[in-house]
Amino acid sequence: MHQNPAKAVPIVYTIRGCDACMKLLRKWDAEGVPYDERRVELSQDVLDEARKYGSLVPIVVWPDGTVQQGFGDSLGCFI
Amino acid sequence: MLEATTVVTPARFEQGLSYADFLAQAKVNRDKFEKFYNDPALTDDDIAFFKKVAVLPGGPAKILALAEDWCGDVYRELPTVVRIAEATGAELRVFRRDENPDIMDEYLSNNGKSRAIPVFVFYTKDHRYITHFLERSAGAHKELAAAIAEISAKLGLPPGTTYATVPDASRPTFVQELIAKITPRFAAWRKEAIREMRTLHSTALHSPNHA
Repeated sequence: MHQNPAKAVPIVYTIRGCDACMKLLRKWDAEGVPYDERRVELSQDVLDEARKYGSLVPIVVWPDGTVQQGFGDSLGCFI
Repeated sequence: MLEATTVVTPARFEQGLSYADFLAQAKVNRDKFEKFYNDPALTDDDIAFFKKVAVLPGGPAKILALAEDWCGDVYRELPTVVRIAEATGAELRVFRRDENPDIMDEYLSNNGKSRAIPVFVFYTKDHRYITHFLERSAGAHKELAAAIAEISAKLGLPPGTTYATVPDASRPTFVQELIAKITPRFAAWRKEAIREMRTLHSTALHSPNHA
Protein backbone atom coordinates (compact mmCIF):
# COMPACT_ATOMS: atom_id res chain seq x y z
CA MET A 1 0.00 0.00 0.00
CA HIS A 2 1.52 3.30 -1.10
CA GLN A 3 0.96 6.18 1.27
CA ASN A 4 0.36 9.74 0.15
CA PRO A 5 1.13 11.61 3.34
CA ALA A 6 2.58 14.74 1.76
CA LYS A 7 -0.83 16.13 0.90
CA ALA A 8 -4.13 15.21 2.42
CA VAL A 9 -5.74 15.29 -1.02
CA PRO A 10 -6.21 12.47 -3.48
CA ILE A 11 -3.83 12.13 -6.39
CA VAL A 12 -5.74 11.48 -9.59
CA TYR A 13 -4.06 10.23 -12.75
CA THR A 14 -6.05 11.39 -15.76
CA ILE A 15 -6.17 11.72 -19.51
CA ARG A 16 -8.01 14.82 -20.61
CA GLY A 17 -9.43 12.93 -23.61
CA CYS A 18 -10.90 10.24 -21.35
CA ASP A 19 -14.61 10.75 -20.72
CA ALA A 20 -14.56 8.92 -17.37
CA CYS A 21 -11.65 11.10 -16.19
CA MET A 22 -13.46 14.28 -17.14
CA LYS A 23 -16.66 13.14 -15.43
CA LEU A 24 -14.74 12.55 -12.21
CA LEU A 25 -13.02 15.94 -12.35
CA ARG A 26 -16.31 17.71 -13.08
CA LYS A 27 -17.92 15.95 -10.10
CA TRP A 28 -15.09 16.86 -7.77
CA ASP A 29 -15.01 20.44 -9.05
CA ALA A 30 -18.76 20.75 -8.44
CA GLU A 31 -18.37 19.33 -4.94
CA GLY A 32 -15.29 21.42 -4.16
CA VAL A 33 -13.12 18.36 -3.62
CA PRO A 34 -9.43 19.31 -3.77
CA TYR A 35 -7.17 17.00 -5.74
CA ASP A 36 -3.71 16.69 -7.23
CA GLU A 37 -4.21 15.94 -10.92
CA ARG A 38 -1.41 14.22 -12.82
CA ARG A 39 -1.96 14.00 -16.57
CA VAL A 40 -0.52 10.80 -17.94
CA GLU A 41 -0.90 11.77 -21.59
CA LEU A 42 1.67 14.52 -21.23
CA SER A 43 4.62 12.64 -19.82
CA GLN A 44 6.05 9.14 -19.97
CA ASP A 45 7.31 9.56 -16.42
CA VAL A 46 3.81 10.35 -15.13
CA LEU A 47 2.37 7.49 -17.17
CA ASP A 48 4.92 5.09 -15.71
CA GLU A 49 4.10 6.40 -12.24
CA ALA A 50 0.39 5.79 -12.85
CA ARG A 51 1.06 2.24 -14.03
CA LYS A 52 2.46 1.42 -10.58
CA TYR A 53 -1.08 1.83 -9.29
CA GLY A 54 -3.20 0.44 -12.08
CA SER A 55 -4.04 0.24 -15.74
CA LEU A 56 -7.37 2.03 -16.08
CA VAL A 57 -7.65 5.80 -15.73
CA PRO A 58 -8.85 7.69 -13.87
CA ILE A 59 -6.70 6.20 -11.13
CA VAL A 60 -7.25 7.77 -7.73
CA VAL A 61 -4.71 7.34 -4.93
CA TRP A 62 -6.34 8.45 -1.70
CA PRO A 63 -4.24 9.87 1.15
CA ASP A 64 -4.60 6.58 3.07
CA GLY A 65 -3.11 4.71 0.13
CA THR A 66 -6.36 3.25 -1.17
CA VAL A 67 -6.39 3.02 -4.96
CA GLN A 68 -9.45 3.19 -7.21
CA GLN A 69 -9.55 2.76 -10.95
CA GLY A 70 -12.18 3.93 -13.42
CA PHE A 71 -15.15 6.11 -12.68
CA GLY A 72 -18.83 6.31 -13.43
CA ASP A 73 -20.78 4.47 -16.04
CA SER A 74 -18.06 4.21 -18.68
CA LEU A 75 -15.12 1.88 -18.42
CA GLY A 76 -12.38 4.50 -18.57
CA CYS A 77 -9.22 4.21 -20.65
CA PHE A 78 -6.57 1.53 -20.46
CA ILE A 79 -3.11 3.05 -20.37
CA MET B 1 -20.47 5.92 -43.89
CA LEU B 2 -22.04 7.80 -46.76
CA GLU B 3 -19.36 9.37 -48.91
CA ALA B 4 -21.60 12.30 -49.72
CA THR B 5 -21.75 13.36 -46.08
CA THR B 6 -18.32 12.47 -44.75
CA VAL B 7 -15.89 15.19 -43.74
CA VAL B 8 -13.03 13.01 -44.93
CA THR B 9 -12.56 14.29 -48.44
CA PRO B 10 -9.50 13.19 -50.41
CA ALA B 11 -7.86 16.51 -49.55
CA ARG B 12 -8.61 16.06 -45.84
CA PHE B 13 -7.25 12.53 -45.94
CA GLU B 14 -3.95 13.83 -47.26
CA GLN B 15 -3.67 16.11 -44.23
CA GLY B 16 -3.36 13.12 -41.89
CA LEU B 17 -0.05 12.21 -40.34
CA SER B 18 2.21 9.50 -41.61
CA TYR B 19 2.80 6.85 -38.98
CA ALA B 20 6.38 8.08 -38.63
CA ASP B 21 5.16 11.61 -37.93
CA PHE B 22 2.53 10.34 -35.49
CA LEU B 23 5.23 8.47 -33.59
CA ALA B 24 7.59 11.42 -33.71
CA GLN B 25 4.90 13.59 -32.10
CA ALA B 26 3.93 10.98 -29.51
CA LYS B 27 4.52 12.09 -25.94
CA VAL B 28 4.03 8.62 -24.46
CA ASN B 29 4.16 4.94 -25.29
CA ARG B 30 6.68 5.00 -28.13
CA ASP B 31 8.13 1.84 -26.61
CA LYS B 32 4.72 0.15 -26.73
CA PHE B 33 4.16 1.06 -30.39
CA GLU B 34 7.60 -0.30 -31.21
CA LYS B 35 7.00 -3.47 -29.21
CA PHE B 36 3.74 -4.29 -30.98
CA TYR B 37 5.16 -3.33 -34.38
CA ASN B 38 7.96 -5.79 -33.80
CA ASP B 39 5.56 -8.44 -32.55
CA PRO B 40 2.81 -8.37 -35.17
CA ALA B 41 -0.13 -10.63 -34.54
CA LEU B 42 -0.52 -11.09 -38.30
CA THR B 43 0.13 -14.53 -39.76
CA ASP B 44 1.53 -15.11 -43.24
CA ASP B 45 -2.00 -16.10 -44.26
CA ASP B 46 -3.34 -12.78 -42.96
CA ILE B 47 -0.76 -10.87 -44.98
CA ALA B 48 -1.54 -12.92 -48.07
CA PHE B 49 -5.26 -12.21 -47.61
CA PHE B 50 -4.80 -8.47 -47.34
CA LYS B 51 -2.45 -8.50 -50.35
CA LYS B 52 -5.12 -10.40 -52.29
CA VAL B 53 -7.93 -7.98 -51.52
CA ALA B 54 -5.69 -4.96 -52.11
CA VAL B 55 -5.39 -5.82 -55.79
CA LEU B 56 -9.09 -6.46 -56.30
CA PRO B 57 -11.04 -3.81 -58.23
CA GLY B 58 -12.30 -1.57 -55.44
CA GLY B 59 -9.83 -3.06 -52.96
CA PRO B 60 -8.32 -1.08 -50.08
CA ALA B 61 -5.60 1.38 -51.04
CA LYS B 62 -6.00 4.02 -48.33
CA ILE B 63 -6.43 3.59 -44.58
CA LEU B 64 -7.45 6.28 -42.13
CA ALA B 65 -6.62 5.70 -38.45
CA LEU B 66 -8.13 7.70 -35.61
CA ALA B 67 -5.74 7.39 -32.72
CA GLU B 68 -4.13 8.85 -29.61
CA ASP B 69 -0.76 7.75 -28.30
CA TRP B 70 -2.02 7.39 -24.71
CA CYS B 71 -4.62 4.76 -25.56
CA GLY B 72 -3.85 1.11 -24.84
CA ASP B 73 -6.16 -0.17 -27.55
CA VAL B 74 -4.38 2.10 -30.03
CA TYR B 75 -0.82 1.03 -29.25
CA ARG B 76 -1.90 -2.59 -29.43
CA GLU B 77 -3.83 -2.33 -32.72
CA LEU B 78 -2.36 0.50 -34.79
CA PRO B 79 0.97 -1.28 -35.41
CA THR B 80 -0.99 -4.19 -36.92
CA VAL B 81 -2.60 -1.85 -39.43
CA VAL B 82 0.77 -0.26 -40.13
CA ARG B 83 2.03 -3.72 -41.03
CA ILE B 84 -0.99 -4.29 -43.30
CA ALA B 85 -0.38 -0.96 -45.03
CA GLU B 86 3.30 -1.74 -45.51
CA ALA B 87 2.55 -5.19 -46.91
CA THR B 88 -0.13 -4.01 -49.31
CA GLY B 89 1.23 -0.61 -50.27
CA ALA B 90 -1.85 1.13 -48.86
CA GLU B 91 -1.47 4.76 -47.86
CA LEU B 92 -1.98 5.13 -44.11
CA ARG B 93 -2.91 8.46 -42.57
CA VAL B 94 -3.22 8.92 -38.83
CA PHE B 95 -5.54 11.54 -37.32
CA ARG B 96 -5.38 12.44 -33.67
CA ARG B 97 -8.85 11.92 -32.28
CA ASP B 98 -8.94 14.96 -30.05
CA GLU B 99 -7.77 17.28 -32.83
CA ASN B 100 -10.32 15.86 -35.29
CA PRO B 101 -13.67 15.68 -33.48
CA ASP B 102 -15.61 16.00 -36.74
CA ILE B 103 -14.08 12.79 -38.05
CA MET B 104 -14.61 11.06 -34.71
CA ASP B 105 -18.26 12.08 -34.76
CA GLU B 106 -18.76 9.88 -37.82
CA TYR B 107 -17.64 6.80 -35.92
CA LEU B 108 -19.17 7.08 -32.46
CA SER B 109 -19.99 3.86 -30.64
CA ASN B 110 -22.21 2.88 -27.72
CA ASN B 111 -25.28 4.54 -29.24
CA GLY B 112 -23.39 7.70 -30.03
CA LYS B 113 -22.05 8.13 -26.50
CA SER B 114 -18.47 6.87 -26.86
CA ARG B 115 -15.51 8.17 -28.83
CA ALA B 116 -13.76 4.82 -28.76
CA ILE B 117 -10.46 4.39 -30.59
CA PRO B 118 -8.76 3.09 -32.59
CA VAL B 119 -10.91 3.52 -35.67
CA PHE B 120 -9.59 2.22 -38.97
CA VAL B 121 -11.39 3.25 -42.16
CA PHE B 122 -10.53 1.56 -45.43
CA TYR B 123 -10.97 3.32 -48.78
CA THR B 124 -10.38 2.49 -52.40
CA LYS B 125 -7.70 4.26 -54.38
CA ASP B 126 -10.31 6.77 -55.59
CA HIS B 127 -11.44 7.34 -52.00
CA ARG B 128 -14.62 5.31 -51.90
CA TYR B 129 -15.45 3.96 -48.45
CA ILE B 130 -15.09 0.17 -48.13
CA THR B 131 -15.43 -0.69 -44.46
CA HIS B 132 -14.23 0.27 -41.01
CA PHE B 133 -13.10 -1.33 -37.77
CA LEU B 134 -14.00 0.22 -34.44
CA GLU B 135 -12.02 -0.12 -31.20
CA ARG B 136 -12.30 -3.86 -30.51
CA SER B 137 -13.65 -6.92 -32.25
CA ALA B 138 -17.15 -8.19 -31.62
CA GLY B 139 -15.53 -11.22 -30.00
CA ALA B 140 -13.68 -9.00 -27.53
CA HIS B 141 -16.88 -7.14 -26.67
CA LYS B 142 -18.60 -10.47 -26.13
CA GLU B 143 -15.83 -11.60 -23.77
CA LEU B 144 -16.05 -8.31 -21.92
CA ALA B 145 -19.80 -8.76 -21.46
CA ALA B 146 -19.26 -12.34 -20.27
CA ALA B 147 -16.61 -11.18 -17.79
CA ILE B 148 -18.99 -8.54 -16.44
CA ALA B 149 -21.74 -11.14 -16.01
CA GLU B 150 -19.37 -13.55 -14.27
CA ILE B 151 -18.02 -10.93 -11.87
CA SER B 152 -21.54 -9.65 -11.16
CA ALA B 153 -22.60 -13.15 -10.16
CA LYS B 154 -19.50 -13.57 -8.01
CA LEU B 155 -20.22 -10.32 -6.17
CA GLY B 156 -23.88 -11.18 -5.77
CA LEU B 157 -25.11 -8.41 -8.05
CA PRO B 158 -28.41 -8.83 -9.90
CA PRO B 159 -28.40 -10.65 -13.25
CA GLY B 160 -28.28 -8.18 -16.10
CA THR B 161 -25.94 -5.84 -14.24
CA THR B 162 -23.92 -3.79 -16.72
CA TYR B 163 -20.79 -1.80 -16.11
CA ALA B 164 -22.95 1.31 -15.94
CA THR B 165 -25.27 -0.13 -13.29
CA VAL B 166 -22.72 -1.57 -10.86
CA PRO B 167 -23.53 -0.09 -7.43
CA ASP B 168 -20.94 2.43 -6.24
CA ALA B 169 -20.10 0.33 -3.17
CA SER B 170 -19.17 -2.65 -5.34
CA ARG B 171 -17.44 -0.71 -8.09
CA PRO B 172 -13.81 -0.73 -6.84
CA THR B 173 -13.79 -4.51 -6.37
CA PHE B 174 -15.72 -4.97 -9.60
CA VAL B 175 -13.21 -2.93 -11.59
CA GLN B 176 -10.23 -4.74 -10.08
CA GLU B 177 -11.73 -8.12 -10.91
CA LEU B 178 -12.59 -6.99 -14.43
CA ILE B 179 -9.09 -5.72 -15.13
CA ALA B 180 -7.58 -8.96 -13.81
CA LYS B 181 -9.89 -10.99 -16.03
CA ILE B 182 -9.54 -9.15 -19.33
CA THR B 183 -5.91 -8.02 -19.30
CA PRO B 184 -4.60 -11.53 -20.06
CA ARG B 185 -6.95 -11.60 -23.06
CA PHE B 186 -5.40 -8.61 -24.84
CA ALA B 187 -3.06 -10.75 -26.95
CA ALA B 188 -5.97 -12.89 -28.14
CA TRP B 189 -8.00 -9.76 -28.85
CA ARG B 190 -5.30 -8.56 -31.25
CA LYS B 191 -5.82 -11.70 -33.29
CA GLU B 192 -9.60 -11.30 -33.02
CA ALA B 193 -9.25 -7.79 -34.43
CA ILE B 194 -7.37 -9.13 -37.45
CA ARG B 195 -9.99 -11.83 -37.95
CA GLU B 196 -12.70 -9.19 -37.85
CA MET B 197 -10.89 -6.92 -40.30
CA ARG B 198 -10.58 -9.89 -42.67
CA THR B 199 -14.29 -10.62 -42.35
CA LEU B 200 -15.18 -6.98 -42.93
CA HIS B 201 -13.15 -6.90 -46.14
CA SER B 202 -14.39 -10.27 -47.27
CA THR B 203 -18.00 -9.16 -46.84
CA ALA B 204 -17.60 -5.70 -48.31
CA LEU B 205 -15.66 -6.90 -51.33
CA HIS B 206 -17.58 -10.15 -51.83
CA SER B 207 -14.32 -12.03 -51.74
CA PRO B 208 -13.77 -15.35 -49.93
CA ASN B 209 -12.07 -15.01 -46.55
CA HIS B 210 -8.92 -16.87 -47.52
CA ALA B 211 -5.65 -15.94 -49.10
